Amino acid sequence: MESRLFLLAKKSGENAAKFIINLHPKYFQKDIAEPHIPCLMPEYFEPQIEDISEAALKERIKLKKVKASVDMFDQLLQAGTTVSLETSNSLLDLLCYYGDREPSTDNHFQQSEKSEELEEDTGENDKKSKADDQFGVTWRAKNNAERIFALIPEKNSYSYCTMIRGMVKHRALVQALNLYAELLNNRLQADVYTFNALIEATALNMNEKSEDKWNNILELLKQMAAQKVKPNLQTFNNILKCLRRFHAFGRLPGLQTFREMKAIGIEPSLATYHHVIQLFYHHENPSKGSSRIIYDIMNEITGQKFTPKDPDDDMFFQSAMRVCSFLRDLELAYQVHGLLNTGDNWKFIGPDHRRNFYYSKFFSLLCLMEQIDVTLKWYKDLVPSVFFPRSQTLIDLLQALDVANRLEVIPQIWKDSKEYGHTFRSDLKEEILMLMARDQHPPELQVAFADCAADIKSTYESQDARKTAPDWPANSLNCIAVLFLRAGRTQEAWKMLGLFRKHNKIPGNKLLNEFMDSAKASNSPAQAIEVVKLAGAFSLPICEALTQRVMADFAISQEQKEALGNLTSPTSDSDSDSDSDISEGI
Amino acid sequence: MHEISKETESQESVKENTKKDLLDIIKGMKIELSTVNVQTTKPSSTRQLKSVEATINRLQKAPGDAPKKRTKSLSPELVAAASAIADFLPFDKQTTKSELLRQLQQHEEVSKAQKNGGRAKISVSNIISDMKVAKSATIRASTRPVHQIQFDEGSDDYMSQKTSDVKKSLRKNMLKGKRLNIFDLKAVTEETSETETTPSLWDIEFAKQLAAVNEQPLQNGFAEMIQWTKDGKLWEFPINNEAGFDDEGSEFHEHIFLDIHLKDFPKQGPIRHFMELVTCGLSKNPYLSVKQKIEHIEWFRNYFNEKQDILKENGIEFN
Repeated sequence: MESRLFLLAKKSGENAAKFIINLHPKYFQKDIAEPHIPCLMPEYFEPQIEDISEAALKERIKLKKVKASVDMFDQLLQAGTTVSLETSNSLLDLLCYYGDREPSTDNHFQQSEKSEELEEDTGENDKKSKADDQFGVTWRAKNNAERIFALIPEKNSYSYCTMIRGMVKHRALVQALNLYAELLNNRLQADVYTFNALIEATALNMNEKSEDKWNNILELLKQMAAQKVKPNLQTFNNILKCLRRFHAFGRLPGLQTFREMKAIGIEPSLATYHHVIQLFYHHENPSKGSSRIIYDIMNEITGQKFTPKDPDDDMFFQSAMRVCSFLRDLELAYQVHGLLNTGDNWKFIGPDHRRNFYYSKFFSLLCLMEQIDVTLKWYKDLVPSVFFPRSQTLIDLLQALDVANRLEVIPQIWKDSKEYGHTFRSDLKEEILMLMARDQHPPELQVAFADCAADIKSTYESQDARKTAPDWPANSLNCIAVLFLRAGRTQEAWKMLGLFRKHNKIPGNKLLNEFMDSAKASNSPAQAIEVVKLAGAFSLPICEALTQRVMADFAISQEQKEALGNLTSPTSDSDSDSDSDISEGI
Repeated sequence: MHEISKETESQESVKENTKKDLLDIIKGMKIELSTVNVQTTKPSSTRQLKSVEATINRLQKAPGDAPKKRTKSLSPELVAAASAIADFLPFDKQTTKSELLRQLQQHEEVSKAQKNGGRAKISVSNIISDMKVAKSATIRASTRPVHQIQFDEGSDDYMSQKTSDVKKSLRKNMLKGKRLNIFDLKAVTEETSETETTPSLWDIEFAKQLAAVNEQPLQNGFAEMIQWTKDGKLWEFPINNEAGFDDEGSEFHEHIFLDIHLKDFPKQGPIRHFMELVTCGLSKNPYLSVKQKIEHIEWFRNYFNEKQDILKENGIEFN
């Protein structure tokens, strides 16, 4: 969709400009805007304070300069100045959050960093959740965070908490749990964020069985309650996310968790429902009977307007539509779509690929289950302004048209497909041709079909021009030829016959019969003989029958008869005068 | 059935009694109101029509006894009530009536089975809560068969699983059922004294991630203008001449009426004249802040104080 490309181009231009301005701030000092516009002025990324002091350290922390902060801290300690606990804690924050690495400076230029939900057919593997997962343990042993942690004389609970959170974020799970034990030994109290991280750590621990992990999580929750730490939405979402790894075992605990959450008054977010859906519909196994929980969920949240509360909120619609598609329930899909259109919920559709997935599934379901007029109306509405269909989606639409006997729409669909970039998709073209060529149709429709076929033929030809080895599928050749014949474009049809030879594809029997019919209709024995010659050249079994037919139906000269007789023998391969014959004929 | 009756009540209040009868009859029957509540049947009125339709669909495929057998064992009141309802609903009356009666018959069977300690643990509420919503028949005639097959599978599926306990607990409404019972509502909603701390790096980054969830490319020019206004690149409308300029909270009268600051100067004489001219000029000056104007006057005061001896020579008083 061009508007999207345009917006992306605009945004990347903006980013590039900002990058240059920040790189050379001294050239961009002129400020004539009244009132002052801060966002257009260059930002300062280099620390200004040069002396060794706590203020300098604070500045470096604020600018997220990891190495510089660590160096400054060391220098301060060497100089003998004590660093306040608050500053040390914020330094620890910096180190733990970024895992003792510099934060990536080109965040603007990255596309979506979150790992995406794979589509249902590839199955979902367990490595979902954050992108960190895929990188294994990124917490280096004995890194600066640990060192500085050890150096702080009076650690408070915040220091421990931030260390634990950092360890969990970078997958040093056992260390995190050990540190938590140490925190308890020191009679300090963890905050809710730390507990959330610990829950995640427990669930990711590879070495235990699901039941044990669940019991550990329950333990943690009990400790939370005992220490009067209030759980928040993240707590429960984390639990549900972790339960997904336990597959079937996790369902009952998942429901219990959800009820607990509602019981203590925490309002679930879209991410909560997303995790529940994933929990129940993860391994699609229709023979076992699907859960009905999606209906409960939809009944619960229909009409509700959501605000973002969890970074996973934008995954809900995709998984909900996936389930609707799996259950083949169009009403439910309408319900989900209605929820999407409530209030500002449309913003939760997520990035492009997720939006495309959602709409592809929705539209395929419509093609499958909905009446054709309504489907076509949705087609007009959605495509291409909301999403670009994939070729499979278009094939689904074509099949729906077939079922509803509305094949006359096909040329329009082909025209649209070219706009969406499917000009060279052979499966789509084959489907279109096959549907058009399958049955006889009234003449005007035949003409339209033939035009469409000619267009498709030209795409094949232009494709050929680009590739060294031309590749036309046999089906397509058959169909195009048939369509030409039926629309009365006989000359082009005969040219198609030549193409068969060229691409080494075998014409179908039905096709040859139709050619024979056409030759009869135009009363041209030469054409008829051409057909037989072609069949003979490919050594088709139908050659015999065709020869008989020619003998019976046409008035042919003696030499032609002899030539035919030669053809029926298998070693015949004369085909030199085919072109001249065609021009001879009508 | 509650929903159907609620809807028809709104249509005609005269026949209210009939519906009340039906309701009472149903309530009177031994129906296992399991913890599955009727919450899921709360949907809006448009759904109610559809839910009837759904019932009809489901029951068409239910293993059927001969219709004659059914109506016999139902009490005549029930039959009368059912036909009254069928009269109001805009569907085919015969079908609706027979379907309603069939449904009631099922209730009878259920309660009987349970009386005998049977294993059929189907509860009415479960059936109602599991009803799917279907579009009305007139619109989707062509694709009806496929959909009905779906209902088929759903109902068969449901029937076959009723003996399994685990699955039964899952089929209950997700809101009802056992919870973890770890946290206590009172303890959680207690207002603990939260110390105001500046947001840590974790909080800031989390807030950024949250903001990114809802990020969508701008849909139109208005959205772009909104974004620019938020960035500060576009002025806010209606245009405020003093946007971004506060003048330290001073009012216009502090700029204009500067005589107050002249109270330390002599009330007569050339100095007074001079200072009045000064204040006159200052009051017309739009470029200085009040503080600066006062400082100006202060400067004069200091100046004249220093030059006391010259003034005395000329006979001008200043104290």
